[in-house]
Amino acid sequence: MQIFRKYFWLCGLIILASCFKNKQVRIIPIEDFFKNPEKTAFAISPDGKYISYLRSYKNRLNIFVQTLEGGNITRLQTDTTRDISYYFWASNSQILYVSSKNGGIEGPKLYAAKRDGTHTRELAYFKKTWLRLITEKRAINDEILVALNKRDSTVFDAYRLNIQTNQLTLIGINPGNVTEWFADPEGKLRMASASDGVNETLLYRSKESDLFRPIITNNFKTTVIPLGFCKNYTCIYALSNQNRDKTALVKLDCVTGKEHHVIYNNQKVDIIEGMYSNAKHQLVYATYETWKQQRYYLDNDIKGMYTRLEKMLPNTEISITDQDSAEQKFIIKTYTDRNPGTFYLYTITNNKLIKLGDINPSINKEEMAEMKAVKYKTRDGLEVNGYLTLPIGKADKNLPIIVMPHGGHGGPSSRNSWMYNAEVQFLANRGYGVFQMNYRGSTGYGKVFWAAGFKEWGGKIQNDIADGVHWLINEGIADPKRIAIYGSGFGGYSALHGLCFNSDLYKCGASYSGLINLFTYLKGVPAYHKAFQAMSFEMVGNPETDADYFRLASPIFHTDRIKAPVLIAQGAGDPSVNVNETNQFVKELKKRNIPVTYILKEDEGHFFKKEENKWEFYKQLEFFLKSNLNKK
Amino acid sequence: MKRRKQIYHKNFSLIIAFLILISISLVFALALGYNLTQKYIENEFASQKIDVLEQTVKPYNDLFQNKIPEISFYQGFLDSASAIKYLNTIFTKFPFVERAFFYDASISNHKITNGFKVNNFTINPKAVYQFGRNILPDSVVLFKDNNPNSLSMRTTDEFNKMAVKFTEFIESSDTSKTLSNDDIFNVFYSITPNRITYMNIPRQEELKIFKNLMFRNQPPSLFYEQDMLTFYLNPLRLQIKNTHPELYQHILIKPLVYESLDNEPEIISNDIPLPGAFSDYKLYFSSNKAFLVKEVNSRFLPIASGLLIVYGMLVLIAYVIFRNLNVNSKMFKLQHDFIDNLTHEFKTPVSVIKIAGNNISSASHLSNHERTHYGKILDEEADKLNYLMNRLLSFTQIENKAIKLKEERVELSVFCENIINTYKLKYPNFHLHYHLEKVEYYKTDPILLASIFQNLMDNAYKYSLPEKKELNITIQKVKKNIVFCFIDKGIGIPQKEIENIFEKFYRIQNQYNQQGSVGLGLALCKELVNFMNGSITVKSREGKGSEFIIELPYEN
Repeated sequence: MQIFRKYFWLCGLIILASCFKNKQVRIIPIEDFFKNPEKTAFAISPDGKYISYLRSYKNRLNIFVQTLEGGNITRLQTDTTRDISYYFWASNSQILYVSSKNGGIEGPKLYAAKRDGTHTRELAYFKKTWLRLITEKRAINDEILVALNKRDSTVFDAYRLNIQTNQLTLIGINPGNVTEWFADPEGKLRMASASDGVNETLLYRSKESDLFRPIITNNFKTTVIPLGFCKNYTCIYALSNQNRDKTALVKLDCVTGKEHHVIYNNQKVDIIEGMYSNAKHQLVYATYETWKQQRYYLDNDIKGMYTRLEKMLPNTEISITDQDSAEQKFIIKTYTDRNPGTFYLYTITNNKLIKLGDINPSINKEEMAEMKAVKYKTRDGLEVNGYLTLPIGKADKNLPIIVMPHGGHGGPSSRNSWMYNAEVQFLANRGYGVFQMNYRGSTGYGKVFWAAGFKEWGGKIQNDIADGVHWLINEGIADPKRIAIYGSGFGGYSALHGLCFNSDLYKCGASYSGLINLFTYLKGVPAYHKAFQAMSFEMVGNPETDADYFRLASPIFHTDRIKAPVLIAQGAGDPSVNVNETNQFVKELKKRNIPVTYILKEDEGHFFKKEENKWEFYKQLEFFLKSNLNKK
Repeated sequence: MKRRKQIYHKNFSLIIAFLILISISLVFALALGYNLTQKYIENEFASQKIDVLEQTVKPYNDLFQNKIPEISFYQGFLDSASAIKYLNTIFTKFPFVERAFFYDASISNHKITNGFKVNNFTINPKAVYQFGRNILPDSVVLFKDNNPNSLSMRTTDEFNKMAVKFTEFIESSDTSKTLSNDDIFNVFYSITPNRITYMNIPRQEELKIFKNLMFRNQPPSLFYEQDMLTFYLNPLRLQIKNTHPELYQHILIKPLVYESLDNEPEIISNDIPLPGAFSDYKLYFSSNKAFLVKEVNSRFLPIASGLLIVYGMLVLIAYVIFRNLNVNSKMFKLQHDFIDNLTHEFKTPVSVIKIAGNNISSASHLSNHERTHYGKILDEEADKLNYLMNRLLSFTQIENKAIKLKEERVELSVFCENIINTYKLKYPNFHLHYHLEKVEYYKTDPILLASIFQNLMDNAYKYSLPEKKELNITIQKVKKNIVFCFIDKGIGIPQKEIENIFEKFYRIQNQYNQQGSVGLGLALCKELVNFMNGSITVKSREGKGSEFIIELPYEN
């Protein structure tokens, strides 16, 4: 009787405790995480009188315009098939936007519309051409600069486009090697960067009538990114890692190509952004990213403004996303690891802040998990930085872990950052710890660190990931029996690679548009990216001479090594993957009685764009992880 | 008596009929079983060839479905070095692949000297290699495009076929659609007898590019790499997996048109064509009839033994029934005898009483002597009847466990003296002795004990020759038991009867028990002893005497 009573109380306590826990962590519906933003991409008209934004209309992002006070809301266009990917105010009355046609098969097209939604027209329309913007803000005399592969499908020439008359003037003929064009604030095409595949050259001309002259040539591993011109257009501000490991903010002479001086640099990481003010013709701050983005101010007015803003918006990250021509009214975006983003209108004259909207109001930041910066040493002594997001309301011990290696630009060239990440928060909400790491080959930590990932896709990069997992197990945070690996693009490749070669580490793995064959990946560099092929050979390897390595590093050749359940999500239109191959891969796994969840979407590309497809994928992913990680 | 005989006779014929019936069934079942097994084996011989075929062509299917499509994974990037590596895995795993031709091809809109051209689209081999077992190093390279005139028809045969198919496909296909499995099989595979050619499947993007190359006038394009491999197979090197060695004595790979020419009737044969690139050949199965008979026998054996076991069990059951009936009829006979005896037993005293009564009633007067005489007779006969009835009654009671032990302390010497004195009065010529050893008293029901004594003493008297009527009684304690031995010098009991003497209503047929015996005495003794938790045994030698030993638990 005594014992019974004791157990009765114990049971009661456990039930109470579990009730308490359940109350603490609400399961947030998938739709809330992965819905289109309610309102996003706020912008202000050059005269500072109107505010525009993208808002969901019939589940697709459309452009809306309103007055500063929020009156007179107009929907600029109607598009119920695709989201608007980019738009900007060309003038006080004209908005230009980019949207893809025919379900994204044809490539992006440029449209113009008046502020009140009338006079919508397509600009520079040619069949089977791709269009890139050279001007990304403000038309000058109703003219903008665009690049089109109209003359030759493999090269992009520069054109001046009149947005009223739709008149196209060729202003820069691409000899075949120019990969990017740059214009000055007056709309003159003054710079270009060219590449022969391995070496990049920066070209300059002082007048549009002159010929382009090369000023700097460097290997593709070195980058010089022009940010803006000095007052007399004889020098430029640029992000450069020429002759140094970490990208610095520098001033370059346009004629000699020599560096005047370094404006700012950081010992540990690259400078990732230099904010150029068109009004002041100078740089106002530099941004560098350690475990989160930080600013170094170069202008006291801006420093003062940010200080005031930080006082009004404590404990958030602040960035200016748009401003009027007079630089008096600013669109401010704030975010944290637990807040997807909130837009404000800030007026400098009266120091007033008006909230414009949340990107995703369904996300309550109290329910989100904290993203902590972590670091570990790999087997060869390299320090790798990463992030760990642990679920709320659980002890930091013996947790089920999702290892999430990042993808980026088809390969590893990207990094994880401290910010709100819907996937991470979704997984943390479902009770998993999420582990992300910036393995070698990631960008942001300097040239050497980046280049260390060359031809190591199936080698040291994968070791870095596995070492991170071992570190997490040794820390006691991960339950070694409940670790899954999931990623998209290169991350998906890493997941499949991990299942092949570190099969004892992972209980299951999921690949979202992951590469399965490096041969195919290299074949997939499109013809107009011909210039990148030689570079790809250096970064990934040469499929003919390094065939053995390619074979060893490609999961498709190693289906027989996979033992754990696999989830594969794939859009049939993904250029980096051959769907026939993915089918063959899945077929072979099925033949070996490996449980495979295969989500193939005929109407999607590299990533699923349609909400309903995203939801279906994440629902499947949730079920897949639950059924494989919850049984001990 | 008549009825009993009838029953006995009837049972016997039934059992005989039963035995005959099941024997016929057995023979029939065996014959049927053998026939069915034979049919079954014949069917198996015809049907299991599919199983053998499946197992034999398994490596071929593996090659065809898994290893060959792997060429596509290289996306046209194979060169002679990586091709030989790939092919070596094939040569080691699949012995039936003898040679392979590797066409390192390229597609473009350039002018070419050797190759295949439709509009602007050209497909030409950059190099042709030959790999395989026992191929001399100088014959590996068959063609290189820096030596344009070295291309022979023989080496390009397969290449041309594939190139035609592929260009036809590029010309007619809808490149915006993903490739169907039919397309893949029809375009990228070419299967002819003993040869499989495969070309890597280009990506969707490339198919579009190829179509543009064909129909548009474009500046000189890139060279798009395509790989083509032709595998030469030797079906005779397929390893035959005889999964049914019990059915097929010989399995051979023979040309499709092969027919055995020896008309030996003792050989049974069958065949099945090989699939895919081996379709010119077939698997030829043959077995000797005697070989199959052996298999039939070995399969039939368990069936036959099963049938025999069932048959044996039926016979056993019949025997058990027969035995039970026999026992029952014996019992019937015993009971009948008992009633006969009993009637007889009762009849004598009753008739004596009746005669005495008649004599008394018919006599005009009775002398004193006569009166006492008749009185005595009547008294004696009444006693006899009473004794008979008591015995019957007590036996039934014991059998039904209806009596209770009335235990009291019995002084054994007194008890023996009394009982011997009574018998000496009754049978003056009966020599009785008793002897006690280490025991003085026994705690039991004296009436039951006396009953046992009386029965055994009666028997000893009854079954002894007149000059040898002698009985020695010894009582001794052995361990925890008390043992009574009754040793006489009587006629003894024949060995074969010893088992039966304790049965109810059993009597040994001889001259000593013509009357006054109902066959209950020893049965009663046994019942009594059992009732008292003891045991009774007998040793006897015919003509010498018998010894009855009774062991009863001795309680302190």
